[in-house]
Amino acid sequence: MPLIRKSPSETAPTRAPEVPTLIAALENGSQQERWAAARGLAKVPGAVAALGKALGREADERVRLAIFTSLATISSAASLDAILPYLRSDDASLRTGALDALRLMPGIVPGRLESLLCDPDPDVRLLACDLARDLSSQEASILLSSLIEVDPSVNVCAAAVDVLAEIGAPDTLPSLVRCAARFADRPFLGFAVKVASERIGSRFPARHG
Amino acid sequence: MVFGESKRYYVDRRVTDRIAATGAQSFASYFARLRSDLNGEIEQFINAFTVNETYFYREEHQLRCLSSDLLAQRTARVDRTRTIRIWSIPCSTGEEPYSIAIWLLENWPQVDAYDIEIVGSDIDTQVLEAARSGIYGRRALMRLAPALIQKYFEPLDEDRWRVIEDLRQSVRFSPVNVVEASETRAYGQFDVIFCRNVLIYFDDASRRIAAENLFENLLPGGFICLGHTESMSRISPLFEVCRYADAIVYRRAREDADGKSVG
Repeated sequence: MPLIRKSPSETAPTRAPEVPTLIAALENGSQQERWAAARGLAKVPGAVAALGKALGREADERVRLAIFTSLATISSAASLDAILPYLRSDDASLRTGALDALRLMPGIVPGRLESLLCDPDPDVRLLACDLARDLSSQEASILLSSLIEVDPSVNVCAAAVDVLAEIGAPDTLPSLVRCAARFADRPFLGFAVKVASERIGSRFPARHG
Repeated sequence: MVFGESKRYYVDRRVTDRIAATGAQSFASYFARLRSDLNGEIEQFINAFTVNETYFYREEHQLRCLSSDLLAQRTARVDRTRTIRIWSIPCSTGEEPYSIAIWLLENWPQVDAYDIEIVGSDIDTQVLEAARSGIYGRRALMRLAPALIQKYFEPLDEDRWRVIEDLRQSVRFSPVNVVEASETRAYGQFDVIFCRNVLIYFDDASRRIAAENLFENLLPGGFICLGHTESMSRISPLFEVCRYADAIVYRRAREDADGKSVG
């Protein structure tokens, strides 16, 4: 039979390097060493600063992903603070990487969402709307209906309407109508509000059918 | 592992089973036993929650893809002295790794030209014992032609068959937790990994860690096969999507000497 079986002893055991070694590799190692170092620091809360700093200079997308995963795995207020600045990055892959990492932190992000939805940068508010998908219907409805009442950006409001269409509660319907009225000259938003209202209504037919 | 509200009955039943099995008088008493890992209860608890039902030649289209496309790509770039390594994780009670072995022996024309190592791993130590014993009932063999059953199994009684000794000795079974890099790294790198219908049970963070672990366990240019309802693209951008006639699989890009992807 051409099938062979090797005994486990033929595979070399791996020994985890010390934290200072990993941090040094994250700063100065080859691509593979930086990847391994980033992954190795996933269980080291004290490495958040080093991981956040490395993210700023790291050019390799694969290593960036590993850093984001490790920061998300640490999942602390500090690791959240290390990720958030990259929501403002001009580099689309960093922005997306940050957003994906934040999605992995459902225990930490909701507490910070309210301030993100008030951020002066409309791109950050827009991405924050997407993070609200992971909240309960009630929490998302309160936050996003407040946002669509006042947010000056039609694109941010459209992102919020999109999320409400999926998980919004019936009591968001008046806010949706007022949002469409605020942007009456932007027909796409009116259409999005109509679709969202119909979808919310279809989920709660007894109350709004 | 994440169990939503729809799985409440599933969870209730298994916790109730473990309470009964340990003779605990109440949930509180059982929970204390679990937290202190009395008599290895954590492992027993994990074993109770892992999903183990499978059968030979499940998702046969992926096996066709393995012999018609994936191995052709893997062998196009290696010399014949290198061992082709295939990992079945989780392997449950062994149907998958034995299926891979039988399929290759029957369907891959180059099977005699290479050394092939098949490893089956699972977090559940009880199923690994069952896999090593290689004993299966009628239901597990339902997709196999009678000729294959005759060739690769020996009947034990009217309803049970045992994988022949040669085949049992050809597959290594060993425990692993796919979200623990320290455990997965010890297995080295593979040409093809079958990781079907397990990532769906993880939360998003664990799924991504598992994907990164499996990425490390693939040789550059190596392939990973997921269950037909799973998509690696939704978990991690590390892999390339490869569409073949029989299956969609995912690949770790080939790399240059510095580890840079070269497509």
